[in-house]
Amino acid sequence: MKKQNRSLLRATAAPLPYIDHFGLSPADLRGVLQLALASGGDFAEIFMEYRTYDFINMEEDIIKETAEAVSIGLGIRVIRGDRTGFGYTNDLSLDKVRKTAQTAAAIARGKAGAVPPPALRDRTRATSRYIVRHPAHKASLLAKMALVREAYAAAQAFDKRIAKVKAHYSDSLKHMCIANSEGLLVRDTRPMVKLVCVAISEKDGKRESGYWGGGGRVGVEYFRDVLTPRRIGEEAAREAVLLLGAADAPAGEMPIVLAPGHSGVLIHEAVGHLLEADFTRKKTSVFWNKMGKRVGSELVTIYDDPTVPSFRGSYNIDDEGTPPRKTLLIEKGVIRGLLQDKLSCRLMRGRLTGHGRRQDYSCAPIPRMANTYIAAGDDAPEDILRSVKKGFYVARLSGGQVEDSGKFTFSVSLGYLIEDGRLTAPVKQATLIGTNIDILKKIDMVGSDLEFGLQTGTCSKDGQDVPVTDGCPTLRIEKMTVGGTS
Amino acid sequence: MKKEAPTLRDLAETLVAYARTSGADEAEVSVSDGYEFNVDVRKGRIEQLIEAGSRVCGLRVIKDKKTAFASSSDLEMGTLKRLVRNAVRRAELGNPDEFAGLAPLSKERVDASALKLYDPAIAGLDSKTKIGLALATERTALRDKRITNSYGATFASNEIHSVLTMSNGFVGEYEQTYCGLGVGLQAGDTDNRVEDSWSSSKRHFKDLESPEAIARKAVERTVRQLKPRKIKTQNVPVIFEPTQTAWLMGFLFGCVTGTAVYQKATFLEGKLGRRVGNERLTVVDDGLLPGKLGTHPFDSDGMPSRRTVVIERGVLKNYLCNYYAARKLRLKSTGNADGNGVGPNNFYLEAGTVSPKDIIAGTKRGLILIRTLGHGLNSVTGDISRGAFGLWVEGGEVAYPVSEVTISGNLGRILEGIEAIGSDLEFLSPVTGPTVKVAEMTVAGE
Repeated sequence: MKKQNRSLLRATAAPLPYIDHFGLSPADLRGVLQLALASGGDFAEIFMEYRTYDFINMEEDIIKETAEAVSIGLGIRVIRGDRTGFGYTNDLSLDKVRKTAQTAAAIARGKAGAVPPPALRDRTRATSRYIVRHPAHKASLLAKMALVREAYAAAQAFDKRIAKVKAHYSDSLKHMCIANSEGLLVRDTRPMVKLVCVAISEKDGKRESGYWGGGGRVGVEYFRDVLTPRRIGEEAAREAVLLLGAADAPAGEMPIVLAPGHSGVLIHEAVGHLLEADFTRKKTSVFWNKMGKRVGSELVTIYDDPTVPSFRGSYNIDDEGTPPRKTLLIEKGVIRGLLQDKLSCRLMRGRLTGHGRRQDYSCAPIPRMANTYIAAGDDAPEDILRSVKKGFYVARLSGGQVEDSGKFTFSVSLGYLIEDGRLTAPVKQATLIGTNIDILKKIDMVGSDLEFGLQTGTCSKDGQDVPVTDGCPTLRIEKMTVGGTS
Repeated sequence: MKKEAPTLRDLAETLVAYARTSGADEAEVSVSDGYEFNVDVRKGRIEQLIEAGSRVCGLRVIKDKKTAFASSSDLEMGTLKRLVRNAVRRAELGNPDEFAGLAPLSKERVDASALKLYDPAIAGLDSKTKIGLALATERTALRDKRITNSYGATFASNEIHSVLTMSNGFVGEYEQTYCGLGVGLQAGDTDNRVEDSWSSSKRHFKDLESPEAIARKAVERTVRQLKPRKIKTQNVPVIFEPTQTAWLMGFLFGCVTGTAVYQKATFLEGKLGRRVGNERLTVVDDGLLPGKLGTHPFDSDGMPSRRTVVIERGVLKNYLCNYYAARKLRLKSTGNADGNGVGPNNFYLEAGTVSPKDIIAGTKRGLILIRTLGHGLNSVTGDISRGAFGLWVEGGEVAYPVSEVTISGNLGRILEGIEAIGSDLEFLSPVTGPTVKVAEMTVAGE
């Protein structure tokens, strides 16, 4: 077996970083692609990944543990018509890589095409959407620990009813390189940082918890310039304390007002997932036969934009090497677009949007959201609130889920009752449920105040987790079912 | 896989020794080597075929009562040694934790071979057979004309070889297998779709449900939801089907871990020895049940697996702990260490004596919970609020399906209000339970 010094990160800038990390030259890669197509595949692709990760955990007033992880591996995909063969390995010897190619190739049972794959051309662009001045992987561990301690201390000092605090910091740097049988060779290096705080409050034997955090594809300066650890700690504690005085959520159908920012989860679940192209291609999505048709109120316009600088959900290229573009999904209530990956795009003869994503090298790419949001409308947020006599205000959302029929839920971690156009009592956790083609029609006011939620979100689909961001202005829904107890 | 066995163990032992010479007071190294096969078929054709092998190494070092972890999928010795050195250095920068440290070497050992974790028949299956099983499952399901679309069928199998070595002298090693077969379906027209699935997951190939049985259950579970109604908001008894008891037990598990207790992240903190549910309720964690999905010879602390009664006839008897949480709470480890946290072995609600049919027959009005959507579980308070799909029961019989409602309540009150426990306990997943009837929850609808 060839000995390779493949995993040492070199300090000096190298002209061909994929050689450093993966020990495979463009000529090797082309040979592997040729082998992958030997049984008659239409398309072959090699996805290489080298990722480093750092983690710091503070609880019980101490930096309790730190962790470091290294992940290296490569996935090879062969497509023949609508069939995909996929293999992966974290042994990057050429021998093992060629075997992986043969495994993936077995999906096609025929002869190789007459034309060998073209020579690989490096299409890596110099510009980046990741706004990093002080890269996290170069910052000292002590400096990162100081961020965690600051968030922790701020939460603890916020109120004497704070009983426990946890704070976690993590950063990662993912080097990736994609080569495919269309001659593409492209690289990306994606940074990610995240700092979160959980606070638990206690009073008279009753407990509640609060959560806050931030980060993105940024450097550690983010925690000084954009969102300080102190604010993260304080907001987590504020929520935990506020919930101690919260009443049980109401139950039944009522008018809903969604706070800007976090409420983007609603759009992510109700619309985004079911406009991922695979669900339309397989006709399992309620939207599959509604392209160009009205599914929501005129006030609803929705985009997914992976190009927003520094956001968690953003990237320079998707995980198939496609440069992404801002994609219009719904325009004034009418479905206009789908989130595409290469496979669905080929089979549907669609246009690539750059939404083919994968959790890591061990997963085949599928269409995914990146940064999904509902565009700002004309209503003043205070007018929206004032218009509701009796209803439910969603202040903080913690997640949601959708099924292909369009039934979706989202979980509110903090809400308020609306009485006579004003927020009154805070209320606890409740899940809201509805059907998208019904709820989208019931969005009858859209605020001018578009905001994005916390830069800590992760979306799961088919067992793959990817970072995402959601956004939303203040919204009013005529009525929706709230799953409280009172 | 077998011929590489000495390599994994050598690698782990070498790294433990290297950690000690690099300055660690204690060290622990785990290495696993896995082989994965997965085929997805849809509408009678292969959609995706995955075959792969991968290895991963995890390590923990402790120096001056300070802990650092590392993991790598790059098993090159140079990389691993660098990670060990980094970990020792990082540990030095942390804070001392009086409870840090490896578990002491246990005198007891569990014989892995008696646990029936490995099935050579799975290793011997050829691709054609595995693909054929998935195709047969979907084909059988699609024969039913009420089924209007398919998410496809999947056959998956795994073979995993794991080694754990520790500087206290512990060396453990075992092989295990899994296989699974399932199918997902839709019924109804596009604007009135309902969906469900069924799958079987086992350690032994011969225990796997047949393609016909899986298809039949998936079809039945899907079509019974057709033409649902939305009901008025009300408080009613709720009957959890076993698939739903499974998530309720998962939520309960999260509330009885020693970690959650010392973090005050569970409403069951401070309740040890106290009544937390009614007499009918007995909950057990058992890592020793031969051939079951949650069975292991030892946990990630190297502690031998055991059987722990968590709740006995309504009284909270034990929190489930890894060595760290146990030390902190002055309890004993229950063999539930899972990486850096606490994980379930076979965690289950003990079966009752009533058949699920009789439970339904004895219910005047209520909701049978068949699926949920969304998360809505808060271990700090025990509060539950989830999207729900169900079957409405009227006069002891299923009347019609219900959808687009939520169920909400509190786990503490649910445990106190269990009215009946079914006799239908099956170990379909590591966390499991039979049919359960809860006296009252809020169902929110119109």
